[in-house]
Amino acid sequence: MKLEIGNFHVKDVVFGNETKYENGIVTINKQEAIDYVKEDEHITDVDIFIAKPGEKIRIVPVKEAIEPRCRVSGGSVFPGVTGDLQQVGNGRTNALKNTSVLAVGKHWGSFGDGLIDMSGEGAKYTYNSQLINICLVADTDEEFERYEQQKKNHAIRWAAMRLSEYIGNCTKELKPEEIETYEMEPITKRSPEVNALPSVVVVLQPQSQMEELGYNDLNYGWDTNRMLPTFMHPNEVLDGAMISGSFMPCSSKWSTYDFQNFPLITRLYKEHGKTINFLGVIMSNLNVALEQKERAALFVAQMAKSLGADSAVLAEEGYGNPDADFIACFVALEDAGVKTIGCTNECTGRDGNSQPLVTLDKKADAIVSTGNVSELIELPPMEKVIGELQSLARDGLSGGWAGDEILGPSVREDGSIIMENNSMFAGDQIAGWSTKTMKEF
Amino acid sequence: MKKAILYINQFFAGLGGEAKADYAPEIKNGLVGPAMELDKILQNAEVTHTVICGDNFMGSNTEKAVERILEFLEDKEFDIFFAGPAFQAGRYGSACGNICKAVKEKFGVPVVTAMHEENPGVDMFKKDIVIFKSGKSAASMRKDLNKMAQFGDKVLAGEKLGTAEEEGYFIRGIRHQVWLEDEVPASDRVVDMLLKKIRGEEFISELPIPELDRVPIAEKIEELSKATIALVTSGGIVPVENPDRIQSASATRWGRYNIKGMDRLESGVYKTIHAGYDPAAADADPNVCLPLDAMRAYENEGKIGKLHDYFYTTVGTGTTQAEAARMANEMVEYFKNEGVDAIVLTST
Amino acid sequence: MKEIERAGITIVQMANLIPVAKTVGANRMVPTISIPYPLGDPSTSKEEQWKLRYHRVGVALDALTTDIKEQTVFRVKI
Repeated sequence: MKLEIGNFHVKDVVFGNETKYENGIVTINKQEAIDYVKEDEHITDVDIFIAKPGEKIRIVPVKEAIEPRCRVSGGSVFPGVTGDLQQVGNGRTNALKNTSVLAVGKHWGSFGDGLIDMSGEGAKYTYNSQLINICLVADTDEEFERYEQQKKNHAIRWAAMRLSEYIGNCTKELKPEEIETYEMEPITKRSPEVNALPSVVVVLQPQSQMEELGYNDLNYGWDTNRMLPTFMHPNEVLDGAMISGSFMPCSSKWSTYDFQNFPLITRLYKEHGKTINFLGVIMSNLNVALEQKERAALFVAQMAKSLGADSAVLAEEGYGNPDADFIACFVALEDAGVKTIGCTNECTGRDGNSQPLVTLDKKADAIVSTGNVSELIELPPMEKVIGELQSLARDGLSGGWAGDEILGPSVREDGSIIMENNSMFAGDQIAGWSTKTMKEF
Repeated sequence: MKKAILYINQFFAGLGGEAKADYAPEIKNGLVGPAMELDKILQNAEVTHTVICGDNFMGSNTEKAVERILEFLEDKEFDIFFAGPAFQAGRYGSACGNICKAVKEKFGVPVVTAMHEENPGVDMFKKDIVIFKSGKSAASMRKDLNKMAQFGDKVLAGEKLGTAEEEGYFIRGIRHQVWLEDEVPASDRVVDMLLKKIRGEEFISELPIPELDRVPIAEKIEELSKATIALVTSGGIVPVENPDRIQSASATRWGRYNIKGMDRLESGVYKTIHAGYDPAAADADPNVCLPLDAMRAYENEGKIGKLHDYFYTTVGTGTTQAEAARMANEMVEYFKNEGVDAIVLTST
Repeated sequence: MKEIERAGITIVQMANLIPVAKTVGANRMVPTISIPYPLGDPSTSKEEQWKLRYHRVGVALDALTTDIKEQTVFRVKI
């Protein structure tokens, strides 16, 4: 399997007469884009805004982030989701770098939504504040969930995916400025030199805790809740096989953008053939019943062992209950003789005093920690808000609240906010970007 | 000039050792004992009062002692509260922890203390207060006061505080997120740790799993009336001539002594050599520490099958966890070989 | 003294500073009245001392026969 990602380094995004890419500038015909989005009748109201790094803009509620891409070899960017099913991870996919499409609610946020500040103190909490964000702000006819805290956000998320393809398509005939190649031989057909290197599998635990379909991360369009751990090629993760869900408290979330760029994977690819033999990805999930967690751990450990993995990198898209899956897999892997490194965030409470993971085990002796879900953050008002600021306080976002005896509401009269890191959009960057860690005080 | 108050025990107040351990709490105007040195070193505050309390008084009447001391403090102006250093003294460490925690809760001022890492007070209170790592004995007094004072100065000046590691106090289990100065992303840290772990090299996990050292609960005794029970004590009860030369503190030796046929331990035949508490009562009646008489009574009644022919003894004060563990393991050999079913352990 | 229990021998700890016993991992615990004289206050009569000692040692022996699921401090009456 050989994947080529053709990169176009975007310097600016503007609205104009024709949707095109030229000399680093993406021009979008706004009306055409809106019409395209409105092809889905469930979208009742839509607008598009551009937010650039450094601008005094706050965006909330953000439900999803997607890198605009184009599958040059043919087919949709997200098979089984926005188009027909097909094998991904092969051929050429173009990517507009330095930019992302955000799915933003016009009103009515939900538990797993998040916030992004494009400048000031709050910018450092998210990766997306560094990108030029094309914000799709929409309202839908999904009345059944309008006032629910848990939302599938189906229409808005699919609209954002389609919009990202629409924009990405402008590169279809163009020659990329650079090409990243991702290629690995089939496992048993590798050279003796590569085989002699210590082997590694990446074990990913995407969010799949909702038992009703429509909220969880999808694997080629299949709900990850209905999955047993399986073996995937890293190219598949990088090339649109996985999309993010609509449930996970936001700082722990792996947005679709995160999946498309997964640093833990690309970093191991860099080491492949040099210091390690990268075998591939064991895609597991996160479950809510003990037996399910145990079963998943069983599968993960067996696969790792049968593949002959010397070591594993284990990452969980979540905190709290998912910690149990994380530790269960960690221990199962170690017991199978697979040396494991974990990558996760912690939840130590606002005072930092709580146990970092809900379960602990001495065998989990190697963990990279990417942040604290509970950290209290206070930020000044922002000149412009894309979306609706009140959603942070009103709609049950994991890191916001309507009223608190001591702290007051998350959104104050003057537009300043107080919230938990929990709702910073994909803030803990567990996928690998995080330059945060946790320290003892 | 900001104000500080120091809490010390009877020994460091120069009042005496074990004999004065029941000293009731009092607050003195001015500097007593280590308060003098602390006052000299502290730059951003002056020590105005010294609180003194006997370790036993605090240990046996903690609530009352704390209440009294808090009362003393009510009408005093102070911006920071220090206690100790307690070095390896368990009761002193516990006292410092108790009073610091209470002062912090009631008055909301920063509290600072110091003790050696093996002091049980560390595990008991590290989550509640800042405890600096001290030396084993008063030999490191000046160094430890320095640590406490320097930190106190920082806090009083409102300076930004570093991590527990940077400042030098025991990890409290309080974890917060920080941005790394060198901005190394998680993916790089993972690969770095991965390669080290694969190669068997040393690495440091960013999430140390805390030591939850729970001993698995031993099975209950099914038939007490058939069981052989042994008495063990860390109170240092020994035959008066201390034949095994068990140390009075920081013990590395233990003894086992034959009590076959004895109904009680007689004063003058047995005594205590434990330096950490007032020996008077135990010398006068060793049974208050090692209750041979009660055990023999139960044996006679048939409540227990048999009282083991030997009692086992060592001294608990200052004894390191490592040494205690070793001694215990040696005792276990005897227990197993001689059919001991269960133990009643008395500590002081 | 954890080592004794680790070796599988049932043990009950009689101690004054119960929180310390708990922290160091004791599982079965019975409180004593003080440090210098755990089981008998010399300021009381011999008779009273005996009663206290006899009672608390009895509680300790009963603790040995009690199944517990977690660290437990056994209650005394005298």
